[in-house]
Amino acid sequence: MKNLTIRNLSKTYFDPYAGSNVTAVHDVSLDVQQGEFVSIVGPSGCGKTTILNMIAGFLPYTGGEILLDGRPVKGPGADRGVVFQSFALFPWRTVLENVAFGPKMRGVGKAQREKIAHEYLALAKLTEAAKRYPAELSGGMQQRVGVVRALANEPDVLLMDEPFASIDAQTRMTLQEELTRIWQEKRPTVIFITHDVGEAVFLADRVVALSKGRVLEEIAVDLPRPRSWDALNDDARFKELSARVLQLVRSA
Amino acid sequence: MARWPSIGAIAPFVLLIAVWWIVTELQIFPRVFLPGPVDVVRSFGSLVHTGILPEYLQDSMVRLAVGAFWGIAIGIPLGMLVGLSSRAHTALWPPLLFFQAIGDIAWLPILVIWFGYGLTTMTVVIVYTVIFPVILNTVLGVRSIPITMYRAAQSLGASRTRILWEVVLPGALPSIMTGLRNGLGYGWRALIATEIIVGTSGIGFLMFDARRAGSVVEILLGMIILGILWYIVDGWILAPIERATGQRWGLVTR
Repeated sequence: MKNLTIRNLSKTYFDPYAGSNVTAVHDVSLDVQQGEFVSIVGPSGCGKTTILNMIAGFLPYTGGEILLDGRPVKGPGADRGVVFQSFALFPWRTVLENVAFGPKMRGVGKAQREKIAHEYLALAKLTEAAKRYPAELSGGMQQRVGVVRALANEPDVLLMDEPFASIDAQTRMTLQEELTRIWQEKRPTVIFITHDVGEAVFLADRVVALSKGRVLEEIAVDLPRPRSWDALNDDARFKELSARVLQLVRSA
Repeated sequence: MARWPSIGAIAPFVLLIAVWWIVTELQIFPRVFLPGPVDVVRSFGSLVHTGILPEYLQDSMVRLAVGAFWGIAIGIPLGMLVGLSSRAHTALWPPLLFFQAIGDIAWLPILVIWFGYGLTTMTVVIVYTVIFPVILNTVLGVRSIPITMYRAAQSLGASRTRILWEVVLPGALPSIMTGLRNGLGYGWRALIATEIIVGTSGIGFLMFDARRAGSVVEILLGMIILGILWYIVDGWILAPIERATGQRWGLVTR
């Protein structure tokens, strides 16, 4: 089992404006099982993106440890796929080439990696867009590409950094439903960062509420799958869980 | 994709030629000082017929191509180095600015002493002129690539070398093209100036030689050729590349 273990993770950096050390992440511990979907939710500046960047290996951590499959995480690697808020697709590559990028870096031959890419594009209903460039697509379409590009590389963990934050409300709901569908089909391990409480609850098996760099509480989400907004919008349990999480992040 | 200029693009030139024609027909200036379009076309015909014009044209274009080649071959890697490495930036940026200020033909006096009146001098001047805009714009382009591009490539398993090819070069390409366009523009002018001063052939030499012979018609012909050539280089080589890269990718607004 390729579990992700985070133990007493801390991040302290020197703030040149304040002239002192600032602790952005304070003693965070978290265990994520293989195939689990975990949302980390909290207000801006609570340290959630910093945590994700440390797991991705983009930022060094100053205390504690991050273990993937028992091995400490050092720097970025293909075992942790990332979906960015700004999509970060390669503008000079077609949609197909973007999705085939990970396999290409692994040395997979052209025919084989295009087959993989087509398969994942079909999963996200993007087959029509394969030959287009990212700039020719809407934001929602671009982030669909962002998600399957990361998935096509079959990472042990998929790290999603507020991926739907810049997408309009209607499209966002569609993308959330599609993400749960794709997750059920492929069952990747997901860590999903968001400030949107409803989104966190809708997607996850477990929600981690974060504030000022500390974990407040972990809440198990026992809603049935597959999930859809039509079913959950008026669902009493969904409302109850959302209210609970909202109360947590607001009170801190 | 090469494009023929549209009617709308040609119209101003038609007007200009018409005015020129009328002015010369009215004999406002003596014919020796301002020959008409027909004289220039006739001169073009005879210079092509004698083979002088094709030969000079070829010489100038080859010099520009050689300059462009070395400007690209040295300028882009150097620009990428300075753009990526803060150590290289610290060490190389001040001398780059220093030598950039000593523009092209300011080197001519010393180059003529070192290399004499010949091809080496001209090549040095044109490479020198092309290379700075290419370097400076490459640096700018490399530094404008969002950090998420690198992070995306890294988390998809790209090595440092792969990132150079897959991210840095294409990401900086629109800016590199701007540098190349500027560099070739400056280089073209520097080349003509150099041909006038040290040349033994080329369009610049043709014009200067015509002055010696008092042939205004050949000077005018040279000037027109300079304009047309740049129009061709820009419209048939540079612009199509830009359309196929930066514009297609949405990195440059049309």
